[in-house]
Amino acid sequence: MTSGSSGVRIGVDIGGTFTDFALVVGEGRGAILHKQLTTPSDPSKAVLEGVATLLAKAACKAGDVAEIVHGTTLVTNALIERKGAVTGMLVTEGFRDLFDIGREQRYDLFDLRIEFAPPLVPRPLRREIPERIGVDGAVMTPLDEAAVLAAAKELVDRRKVEAIAVCYLHSYANAVHEARTKALIEAAYPHLSVSTSSDVFPYMREFERWTTTTVNAYAQPMLDRYLARLEAGLAALGFRGRLTLMSSSGGALTPATARQFPARMLESGPAAGVLMSCRLGRALAMPNVLSFDLGGTTAKGALVRDGRALRKYEFEAAHVYKHKSGSGLALRIPAIDLTEIGAGGGSIAEVDTLGLIRVGPGSAGADPGPVCYAQGGTAPTLTDANLTLGYLDAGYFLGGRMHLDPDGAARVLRSEIAGKLGIDLARAAWGIHDVTNENVARAFRMHAVERGFDYRSSAMVAFGGGGPLHGARIARKLRIPQVIFPVGAGVMSALGMLASRMAFEVARSLRRPLAEITPEIFVETFVGIEREAKEYLLAAGLTAGDIRLDRRVDMRYRGQGYELEVPLPDAPLADIHARLPELFAQRYRDVFHITLDEPLEIVSWKVEAVGPEPVLADVLADAAEISTGPAAKGTRKAWFPAAGGLIDCPVFDRYALKPGASVRGPALIEEHESTCLLDVDDVGTIDPSYNIRVDIAVAAGKGAA
Amino acid sequence: MSARSIDPVSLGIMWDRLVSICDEGAATLIRTSFSTLVREGYDLSVMLFDAEGRMIAQSTKCIPVFIGTAPVTISHMLKRFPPDKLSPGDVVISNDPVIGTGHMYDIAVMRPVYDDATCIVGYTMSITHLPDIGGMGFSAAATELYHEGLRLPICKLVKAGVMEEMILDLIRLNVRVPEQVVGDIMAGVSCTEVVGRQLRDFMREYQLSSIGELSTLIRGQTERAVRTSLAAIPDAVYESAFDVEALGDPVRLACRIEKQGEEMRISFEGTGPCVRSGINVPICYSRSMALYSIKCLTTPNVPNNDGATAPITVSAPAGCILNAIAPAPSAGRHIIGHFVMPLIFAALAKAMPDRITADSGLINILTFQGRLRNGTPFAATYFAAGGFGALDGLDGHPTTPGSSNMACTPTEVFEDLTGMTILRKAIRPDSGGVGTYRGGPGQEIVMRNDTGYPIAVFSMANRTAFAARGADGGGPGALREHSIDGTPISPTGRHDLPAGGILTILEAGGGGFGAPAKRPRAAVLADVERGFLTPAGAKAGYGIDIATEAAQTGPHEIAS
Repeated sequence: MTSGSSGVRIGVDIGGTFTDFALVVGEGRGAILHKQLTTPSDPSKAVLEGVATLLAKAACKAGDVAEIVHGTTLVTNALIERKGAVTGMLVTEGFRDLFDIGREQRYDLFDLRIEFAPPLVPRPLRREIPERIGVDGAVMTPLDEAAVLAAAKELVDRRKVEAIAVCYLHSYANAVHEARTKALIEAAYPHLSVSTSSDVFPYMREFERWTTTTVNAYAQPMLDRYLARLEAGLAALGFRGRLTLMSSSGGALTPATARQFPARMLESGPAAGVLMSCRLGRALAMPNVLSFDLGGTTAKGALVRDGRALRKYEFEAAHVYKHKSGSGLALRIPAIDLTEIGAGGGSIAEVDTLGLIRVGPGSAGADPGPVCYAQGGTAPTLTDANLTLGYLDAGYFLGGRMHLDPDGAARVLRSEIAGKLGIDLARAAWGIHDVTNENVARAFRMHAVERGFDYRSSAMVAFGGGGPLHGARIARKLRIPQVIFPVGAGVMSALGMLASRMAFEVARSLRRPLAEITPEIFVETFVGIEREAKEYLLAAGLTAGDIRLDRRVDMRYRGQGYELEVPLPDAPLADIHARLPELFAQRYRDVFHITLDEPLEIVSWKVEAVGPEPVLADVLADAAEISTGPAAKGTRKAWFPAAGGLIDCPVFDRYALKPGASVRGPALIEEHESTCLLDVDDVGTIDPSYNIRVDIAVAAGKGAA
Repeated sequence: MSARSIDPVSLGIMWDRLVSICDEGAATLIRTSFSTLVREGYDLSVMLFDAEGRMIAQSTKCIPVFIGTAPVTISHMLKRFPPDKLSPGDVVISNDPVIGTGHMYDIAVMRPVYDDATCIVGYTMSITHLPDIGGMGFSAAATELYHEGLRLPICKLVKAGVMEEMILDLIRLNVRVPEQVVGDIMAGVSCTEVVGRQLRDFMREYQLSSIGELSTLIRGQTERAVRTSLAAIPDAVYESAFDVEALGDPVRLACRIEKQGEEMRISFEGTGPCVRSGINVPICYSRSMALYSIKCLTTPNVPNNDGATAPITVSAPAGCILNAIAPAPSAGRHIIGHFVMPLIFAALAKAMPDRITADSGLINILTFQGRLRNGTPFAATYFAAGGFGALDGLDGHPTTPGSSNMACTPTEVFEDLTGMTILRKAIRPDSGGVGTYRGGPGQEIVMRNDTGYPIAVFSMANRTAFAARGADGGGPGALREHSIDGTPISPTGRHDLPAGGILTILEAGGGGFGAPAKRPRAAVLADVERGFLTPAGAKAGYGIDIATEAAQTGPHEIAS
């Protein structure tokens, strides 16, 4: 039962509005896609209905399905809506107030009214336990076991907590007190969910580690119940294969591991979309990729280097003040390094106090939505601008399932933007479109600079409802030579689920000067962490031979506060040890253009155990949609400043474009959930897998034509 | 493209791009810096200037002091090295507090940007707080500027691409951690190069031969926005004054704000004289704090550049503690300088009651010097925040820094850096001022010297004699207090913490806003539940009785 076997596989992504499905049969050529409304009260309902529908559509039986890979926003939503379990917390004596004290920094220097995310565990549910581990891992004060039992009893019996987070200082260096505490509580209350900070993410910096642990505990009972319903429902359909869950880092987890680490389930849908970009990049021999997803409320960007998505360990969830970074819950989990930009179809445009156009982060969302949806929206949005510019067909939105109101869009753009700035309607709409492109380009630039990533030699994969509409022009701004509009752009995440591998990462803080790390210590440290990481995959039924290890260390010059992640080559550990200074210097130079003559230290150690990659056919076009009709649908008035303004722009039917066909911009290529825009002299070619590969015309980058 | 074609759409895009270039430079500095203040507190700034030396863009991440100092610094640099004395590949540096940011820790690194070998199209500058600058260390203990470390005049660190090794040697010889200090200066050198390159790329992309027109538009648009917001404040003369501790006798701080039409004149006339201690504030710092305070009240979202400051003038009599003249020492100028914000808010409270905050508890800065358990010397700076002042409609946040914005080092990291043990870090109940909206509580921090060696503690605390005042009838916050092994010590100056000794720090609370009688009972109960108030504090401050038993575990079942 490895992922590499043939058989039917299904990817399911629960999004805010839609739940998306993709099914492939072994290495078969076409994917079968399905989309239906999400059922927020019990998301498993839509999943079960959708799986049944999808199976019928593919003429398969549930018993034939080898694997279902599932991504869910359940944990994210629980944090935003604060709908998790009543959670208690045990902390090192003297540190009960850590969450109220916070990080002691204003995230906005000029706004005096900022707000911070309230802690998930209110103070009356936090209890101090006498115990202390030192920074070196030595026990300074032994654990007071009686205090643990008394606190647990009070929290469970009187406070009715369903989950407990155990958070002690320096537990990343020595987990003995947290482990003992967990054992004591579990012995007394076998049905309680207990999360320890050394299990959840053994990283230094107590505020973030403890916050992550409370998130884990808070989400545990709910995720457990959800998975129980889902597993029962799938069993009732006759499903006997393997269910896995997509994690924030793009690795698939077994239900047992997911139940243990719900905090790792945040933002798993977007992570899956990035996986698809990785896969496309590898398939098309473009190892460096910018993955760009523009949806209804936000856009998300990620960088793929050498075929693999960059990751991060800092993650902020559930912002509470003006979408501002710093106002959410500050977490540490392994996650794909997504940058989020407040720029989606529903993003609201306005004229600011400087007389300039601003787009987002405020959003009209899906309800009331853009003015052109005619559902009560009154603020001009990006979609209203794109409709006014002629990029969207009022009669063919969502494949014709929704009719748009161009007059309403024009009216609001005139009154709210053009009138205020004294410019004409097209210029105002173009301003919104172009400001959005610039916002995304800026976010990508910043993201890349911080990570030492040279995007100019990479390709962009643009997906999501709005990605194909903006991708080519953003690429032009960034001087990226090639953009890919993949097939199934509207269900990329569900497809991405199918590209996922079983994986589990263990990252551990253990700061030591490099000079003190002998080859023996180096090997021994890694072997211990590797054993832990592999355990989760072995438990899922993989064999040792199936598992590949990906090792990285965070290093820095002694005295620096930020570390640089150094990926380690796949070589014997003792050899790697000898090469560490060289490997670090190389990375440092890549990012900062200089190196220093300072002693080095390793700050943390990371191992990801990865299972085999699923065999997935290159051809993922939705077989059911391929059309034999004419590709050219005629022309439409659309605004292309690079072509002189309002032009008669050729419009094509994506489903009728055959491999080998080529389209020169300006052009609009329509599909159900999206429209691909080619600017002047961009050339799009349909590849054998029905992806559109666009060569961007000389990246002159004249952003403001 | 000619400037006439820069319409609002293009202007917004190009403007954002320039700010973004500065932000990218700042991101690089933060990641490479050795200085705790830079990486934890964003004690840095990156700026772009036009060919005339006018600031047009600044990194988003910075601290208040950098709001107004760089334009002064560059004007002095260009006086020393006018364009005909500069060549491609030159880098000019200085840490002179008089023309810089008010203390020698901040180094300005400036680089002219050339379009070809002959023509300067702009300048880039980075400013970062160095890990050390020699002298007495980061403290207020000096009595003259000369005690405070190495003062570098405006000089060329790099001449036409060639490093002046002599200057680096001079620096190395005069500081405690030479590799780190030189490393941070070199980070500035590479940052300005990257920013300069990006400016050239930007100009090429938009086919600009000069950024003069763009600069005019950016500064003009910004100035208009600031003027509009100033016009909304009623014309009048606003005044405030209060005493602050100044290591010896209290010193009076006073300000007078003349608001007329679209302009504002801020004067610190009536402020007391400099003292023989490193807490004197050069005018560059006072001015920045004043500009920052006005920006918070009027145009918090408008990007900073020379246009933003044009309608506002700031002055102070020479030799007063807010206009220190060399050789008055100034390493700890923030101790007094942080009071500029409450001074200005107090003056404008009548004009903008819904914008100002009550006084904040401000931030405490301690420097520890000693040896780790293995004998290696260490020096570490620790920031601890008092409570934030309340606003009309918003309680003051607990333990949130103001006026500046340094984050506290996590306990786990601090213990690792110093070998000390933090035994307790807890909210200090009853320390926030009472009010309809209560002030933010401060905190109690207890740390033990577990290194086996004595540790020198340099502390530069304020709010030890004069509490954060409430606004509009709100009460004051609690004072800041320090003690060693239970004996109170002066919160300023140098103290020895013996091996095994325990240092206790009580952080000041923020002031409340509005009459306490109007605070809803439920809000008072919630404060007790969160540990912000003791039952006794609830009784004394709000006249609300809470049974002792209920208070310890929370008065009710939890409403989360």
